[in-house]
Amino acid sequence: MSIFDGNSLALLGAAIAALAGIGSAMGVGIAGQAASGVLAEDPKKFGKTLILQALPGTQGIYGLIIAFLILMKIGMLGGSMVELTQAQGLYFLAAGIPIGLVGIWSGIAQGKAAAAALQLMAKRPDQMAKGIIYTAMVETYAIFALLVSVLMWLNIEV
Amino acid sequence: MSIVKMQKVAVIGLDTRKKELMSRLMDFGAVELTDQAEKLEDELWKNAVVRDENQEEVSRLEGKISRAEQALEIIEKYDPGRKPLFKTRREVDRTRAEAVLEKQEDAEKKIEAVLHLNERLHQNAEGMNRIDSDRLALGPWSSYDLPLEVRETRQCVMHMGVLPVSHDPGETGRQLEETAGEVVFRLAGSDRDFHYIAFLTTREKEEEAVSLLKQKGFSETSFHGFSGTVKENLERLSRQRAALEAASHGIEAEIAEKACLREEIEEYCDMMTVEADKEKIRTRLLKTRRTFFLEGWIPAGCTEKAAAILEENGCYYAFRDPEEGEDVPVVLNNSSFFTPFESITEMYSLPDYHGFDPTSIFALFYAIFFGMMLSDAGYGIVMAVICFVVLKKYPLEGNMYKMIKLFFYCGISTTFWGAMFGGWFGNIVEVVSSTFAGHTVTLPPIWFNPIEDPMTLLIFSLALGIIHIFIGMGIKAYMQIRDGHWFDAVCDEGFWYLTILGLIGWLGGGTVAAGLVSAGKWMTIIGAAGLLLTGGRHNKGFGKITGGLGNIYNITSYLSDILSYARILALGLATGVIAQVVNTMGGLFGGGIGGAIALIIIFIIGHVFNLAINALGAFIHSSRLQYIEFFGKFYEDGGEPFDPFRRKTRYIKIAQNEQEAH
Repeated sequence: MSIFDGNSLALLGAAIAALAGIGSAMGVGIAGQAASGVLAEDPKKFGKTLILQALPGTQGIYGLIIAFLILMKIGMLGGSMVELTQAQGLYFLAAGIPIGLVGIWSGIAQGKAAAAALQLMAKRPDQMAKGIIYTAMVETYAIFALLVSVLMWLNIEV
Repeated sequence: MSIVKMQKVAVIGLDTRKKELMSRLMDFGAVELTDQAEKLEDELWKNAVVRDENQEEVSRLEGKISRAEQALEIIEKYDPGRKPLFKTRREVDRTRAEAVLEKQEDAEKKIEAVLHLNERLHQNAEGMNRIDSDRLALGPWSSYDLPLEVRETRQCVMHMGVLPVSHDPGETGRQLEETAGEVVFRLAGSDRDFHYIAFLTTREKEEEAVSLLKQKGFSETSFHGFSGTVKENLERLSRQRAALEAASHGIEAEIAEKACLREEIEEYCDMMTVEADKEKIRTRLLKTRRTFFLEGWIPAGCTEKAAAILEENGCYYAFRDPEEGEDVPVVLNNSSFFTPFESITEMYSLPDYHGFDPTSIFALFYAIFFGMMLSDAGYGIVMAVICFVVLKKYPLEGNMYKMIKLFFYCGISTTFWGAMFGGWFGNIVEVVSSTFAGHTVTLPPIWFNPIEDPMTLLIFSLALGIIHIFIGMGIKAYMQIRDGHWFDAVCDEGFWYLTILGLIGWLGGGTVAAGLVSAGKWMTIIGAAGLLLTGGRHNKGFGKITGGLGNIYNITSYLSDILSYARILALGLATGVIAQVVNTMGGLFGGGIGGAIALIIIFIIGHVFNLAINALGAFIHSSRLQYIEFFGKFYEDGGEPFDPFRRKTRYIKIAQNEQEAH
């Protein structure tokens, strides 16, 4: 019985998935700073800045989804954990990695894009939609990572 | 589904009829006057005509508009009444609108009154600021009980001021006594930075005493203009401040009462805008001593009515088709079912006049993608109902109307796909029934549950994507054939169709029918050979070979385009899983009243959050699939929006004769 038994590995996987929140926190923070700058000029833009600030927040949610799915499948939420083999634990660990890692960097990158989009909106409010699209381009890769994580998770037999 | 055909009209008329004609054209609202700067450079024209303008009148009217807008802003700020969620223009009939022009002075007086009240408010605020700074200055001296105006007697002089906090006041007092002998030294108070001190010396020793303290950084405070003790002054100041505050509240209430004037001021503001626009448009006219000349774009369908107006005003005019190389303004014309989707096209950029308006083609895909990404019947119903109520309640116009209607359609599509995939606020029925009724009831999906069978949905998403991309390529081919380049259509689109379809048959056809594999193989080989041979047809020499290879390499871009549609599955799963997470958390508290309350609270907060974040995501990513994957295949953007000379009113809509170009 080592400390790296199936269950602890699976929990590690859930923890890594939840790390995507780092990216979102940083991204939302970067965008928030830019949003405050824009708001100083024109307080009426609060609603619009909020939308752009929220965009990098999705990586954290994707991470949460995977973490939650893993916890659900190993019975952590029901109160009684399933006994996992080391291989199963490693599968869950692997499933947590794509969204956890991609989430961190894509969140930060998306935050920077959102900050630039906020600058765009400050000067040309009519062009805001395009700024949103630019920002959403970054998200594509977080979505793909989410997809990979979900597909891995789905096919793990418990 | 098209871009409206435009004609160019040129008009020459008599100066006496100009005013009447411009007013009629504004009512007509379907002619965009073009700028004539080029003609003023032209030798032939330059000598005959000058630009028609009256800048003084324009700035006079704009001054009036800005005062009216200021007054409206002030009223808005202090009006306690509820503000509507959407700003809409109210209908005003023509006679009333014109009466506004007659009663200009009346409205101006009211605007002045509002501005005057605001001015008084500002003065009061300034007064309060002054009082506040006096109070701040006097505050630390509150224990000093001599009248402030008494600073000297026959023999003695009083000095008051601040000493940096680094010097001990007791020590300073002793030193002062040593230097100047008879001194009275008092510490009135201290704060973080300073000791507030007063000292009385005889006139003979004054200089020594002051110079000693100056060395320690003492700086004199003058209470010029104050009389009486500090306490008396502080009391007086707070009385004054209270009075000013009360007065300000009174003025604010007075402004709030003026809220009933808002409609009148709004009407005035709009009518002045109309008048100012009539003056401003004159810079686009050319004139001689007795005639004027104008040119403009007009939708081909409106020429007859325009001709009638021009005829009535005794003008010479000519219509012609746009010439090669002219920048023709663009307006889209779709049937009312598709107009909401125009906002998606416009958000990207209007198509070029000679391009293609794909709105009605991608509309269906947009709704499907949105529905599959949000894919929860409960959310769909909520969205559709909210949008429906808003549409019924508010007479929205323009882009706002289009957006709300777009979300209404998307809500319906979301409901449909939600029912197909079995999502009703996630699995709320299951959770509620198992928590409270003891036995689990499930709402089975009509088609299948994507969480259990994601591969089917992945393949379905990619298949939709391939159809979407093929349609985009089809439009490109149509445009090439329309322009007579049918060979390009075969090479650029035809071979790709063959290759991609062949690849699908070759790689995936085996599960359907064995024959598909070899058929697919040959299709791929023929397609790829075609691509290889024709890819470099526009290049020279060696480029003919590399061009073909580069063309084949484009398979990666088609592959990434198709895989991009996998986001439909991922976003759909995200909505479903978060909804389930919310429901599971709500169910953790068990049955009974307490559990029910907890479930309801978590349900509302959780699902509102999930709906908001995923509806935004679905909106953005459905748009992206149109812009990058679909538009990328054929779209020619860069059209200038058609901006006809019309009444650009913000608050009122003048009922009669209001005609929009589309």
